[in-house]
Amino acid sequence: MSRPSTPSDLELMAHADGEHDDPELAARFDGDADARAKLDAIQQLGELVRGHLELSADDVHDAKFAAMWRRIDGQLVAPATGLWSRVSAWFDRYRSHVITGAISAGAVAALALVLRPGTTDLAAHAIDVRPVAQRAAPEIDSLETPGGSSTVISLADDDSNAAVIWVTPDESDAEEI
Amino acid sequence: MNKPGQQASISTHGRDPVDDRELVAAAQRGDRDAFKTLFERYHRRAYALALGVVRHPDDALDVVQEAFIKAHKYLDKFEGNASFYTWLYRIVMNLAIDHLRKHRRVKPVELDETRIEPDSDEPLLPRILGGNPGQALMDKQIRSRIDQALDQLSENHRSVLVMRELEGLSYEEMAQAMSCSKGTIMSRLFHARRNMQKQLLDLLDHPPADLADDVADAPDPANDETPKPARAARSQSR
Repeated sequence: MSRPSTPSDLELMAHADGEHDDPELAARFDGDADARAKLDAIQQLGELVRGHLELSADDVHDAKFAAMWRRIDGQLVAPATGLWSRVSAWFDRYRSHVITGAISAGAVAALALVLRPGTTDLAAHAIDVRPVAQRAAPEIDSLETPGGSSTVISLADDDSNAAVIWVTPDESDAEEI
Repeated sequence: MNKPGQQASISTHGRDPVDDRELVAAAQRGDRDAFKTLFERYHRRAYALALGVVRHPDDALDVVQEAFIKAHKYLDKFEGNASFYTWLYRIVMNLAIDHLRKHRRVKPVELDETRIEPDSDEPLLPRILGGNPGQALMDKQIRSRIDQALDQLSENHRSVLVMRELEGLSYEEMAQAMSCSKGTIMSRLFHARRNMQKQLLDLLDHPPADLADDVADAPDPANDETPKPARAARSQSR
């Protein structure tokens, strides 16, 4: 892609600021009176701005800066030199991070303690779902009934009682029937 | 000046000026005199930078004070990869931009900075005052006009212009400082310069009488021995 015949002002500005290291471009600016004038104007503007600000700084009375130093000196904290003071300084600087980290770690540890497997007393709180007959031994009575014998199986639970009567007819009666 | 328990300070009397790195190292060990020497070396230059951005003398003083306090607080983080002043000006620049954001009364209106139209109807002007800028700065009226022109710039345009003209930062360095692209920096700088030229345009046609005389009598630039206007020590920078 060929370069335009007239360098743009943006290229010119970048050249003036030392952002282009292109001898060909520099040669083209050298051969262009208008470009040279603009380069001079950029340089002049820079000198005006810089000179004006530096003169403004020079205009400030020394007493103001002396007072400023006294205020700065009053707020300076001596840098840490010993091990303990270094640790203290580190803690001061990262105090919020350390506290946040400690709280987070504590919360995680507490959660892990509560939720860790095998430590919760489940037996104390769990509902026994086994059949009643397996929870307590049934009470068994025998009865003689006409034409046979019966067995009464009583099951006692916490809230109710249940009984099963098992009738066994005599063999002779069975044959008669 | 040293508090009890602090080490003996580095003296600058009777020998070559102490290198910034030695002063920083001494200040890191608790030598307040060393830090004071750094303050004395750079406070006016830091003030010029802050003033260029925040535009109010008292605000600029506040920014500089805060910058030195912050620099001392984080002195142990300074590793010496850059010069002390390069490190300091970044602190000053950040505080100055923060100050503008906190005290912003009117939302700045700027052009679309993603568009760069250098070949538009408003190119850079080929000249400003036509004379010697050093002489021009002796004129209070011209300095007042420069102040007004700087005030007219948006915060971003002014910040870029000041960083470039006062500190000589590259586009890349400015892009890092302002967290934007190099293209945006170029656009801001271009428009800042163009707007400054526009603001100062009438000085071309109607320069103050004294300046006009000066310009007429100006010596050949090649033999110009006019003293530079400012005394700030740019040579110690970067």
